[in-house]
Amino acid sequence: MTYFGIFNSPLLYGLVIVAIAFIFIYSLITFVTAYKHAQELGYKKEELKEITRGALVFTIVPSISIVIGLITLSAVIGVPWSWFRLSVVGAVTYELMAADMTATGAGYDSIGALAQTGDPSLVATIMFVMSFCIVCGILCTLFFNKGFNGAISKMSKTGPVGALIVSSLLLALTVNIPLQVSKGPVYIATMITSAVISLICRVLAKKTGQKWLSNFEMALCLILGMASSLVWVKVFGA
Amino acid sequence: MKNDYMTKIHRIGRIGVFIGLCFMFGIPTVIGLVYDEMPSISDIFRVGGGLFAVFAPIAIVEFLSYTPILGSAGYISFLTGNVLNLKLPCAISAMEQAGAQQGTEKGDTISAMAVAASSMMTTAVIALGVVLLVPLQPILTLPAVKTATTYMLPAMFGALFLGMFVSSGRAGNYTVKGKNWVIVPALVIISAIHFSGLYDFSRNSGLAIFLGILIICATAPIFLKLGIIKMKPIDNNSAPIHDKVKTN
Repeated sequence: MTYFGIFNSPLLYGLVIVAIAFIFIYSLITFVTAYKHAQELGYKKEELKEITRGALVFTIVPSISIVIGLITLSAVIGVPWSWFRLSVVGAVTYELMAADMTATGAGYDSIGALAQTGDPSLVATIMFVMSFCIVCGILCTLFFNKGFNGAISKMSKTGPVGALIVSSLLLALTVNIPLQVSKGPVYIATMITSAVISLICRVLAKKTGQKWLSNFEMALCLILGMASSLVWVKVFGA
Repeated sequence: MKNDYMTKIHRIGRIGVFIGLCFMFGIPTVIGLVYDEMPSISDIFRVGGGLFAVFAPIAIVEFLSYTPILGSAGYISFLTGNVLNLKLPCAISAMEQAGAQQGTEKGDTISAMAVAASSMMTTAVIALGVVLLVPLQPILTLPAVKTATTYMLPAMFGALFLGMFVSSGRAGNYTVKGKNWVIVPALVIISAIHFSGLYDFSRNSGLAIFLGILIICATAPIFLKLGIIKMKPIDNNSAPIHDKVKTN
């Protein structure tokens, strides 16, 4: 059996389809459990439907970018394992790095060179290395998520300082602003465009009472912001 | 009710992550055994040890940074990946839409619901992508599509950050005035480190967020003491019924 013979084998397709089906069912069980509890907490069905619709629509564009990663990755490790890796944990840059390290560690110039020779001896090693190197975050969440969240929840009830800190944790994400700014004018212009579109959506939703604008705000900002980057690239250069 | 739900959702999360791990290592094991190409454990460590050493601290920092926001949705998020560019914005946007805050039962529930829906959608889109891989390839590899996807993160952050800054008037059972001040020291310090070249955070944004959280923890009490940030307890009994439901 050749390198791609194993990586595109029916057996691997079968195993991956079972795994993907599991991920879907696991997500569905979580969704149904949380949905029912949200109703118990006082949210109306209509409100929850809107929130779910917003989440689904917003997810489409980033998911398409994952499919683009799939095209890149499948060229060197076949379709099924790329499919699994990008559905579970994976990000295309990490996966390529892990596969490349396995190939270079075995004396090949790159993962591309290994794929061309068709040497099947490293297939399982590549799969193990990809899974093993990124396992830490999953292990942390498996063992510490409950305790950590319990501590955060308790902290929010200790008084104003605790409540302020817990509610401000979200703002810590905004440290990404200088990181994006440092990448250049196209990044800055795209970020500002998206913020302006968001502002327009909010103002319009408030003034016209068109609630759907709030629900699809993130998706609209994402699509129009990304589209604007094509203009900004022409203005500022890549 | 709370303990029942929390116990249940964490149990589902743990079982799901455990089975996911079984697939992650089980599939390579089956392939290795069936095709008689099973590597030794020492081979895996020899090849992957360096990469593991790089990614382990990043993963731990990301766990510490993202878990307080995601809550029990962390299980699915860390198992299915794309946390910063998909799961977090999805959870934040849903919580904002629902008027719920992170670190509360409502926030946790809404976040779990949104992230689970998002994971199903991603799984479906990728599966469709696999089926349509050949016809889609020419479209998805167009230069314009490639360029647009390069700028996905700033497009997402622009909208997300605006929402964070304009809707931050509440903290648990308190109303807050001047809450955005709490992030200023973190922004200044991280910008100074990043732009001075002391450390390039763009290689590890999780570390920047973690540092941001530490700075917030250190400076929030000072802002409160100096009166720059002001907090008042919410009188829930005087709030309209719909608001009472959304108060966490």
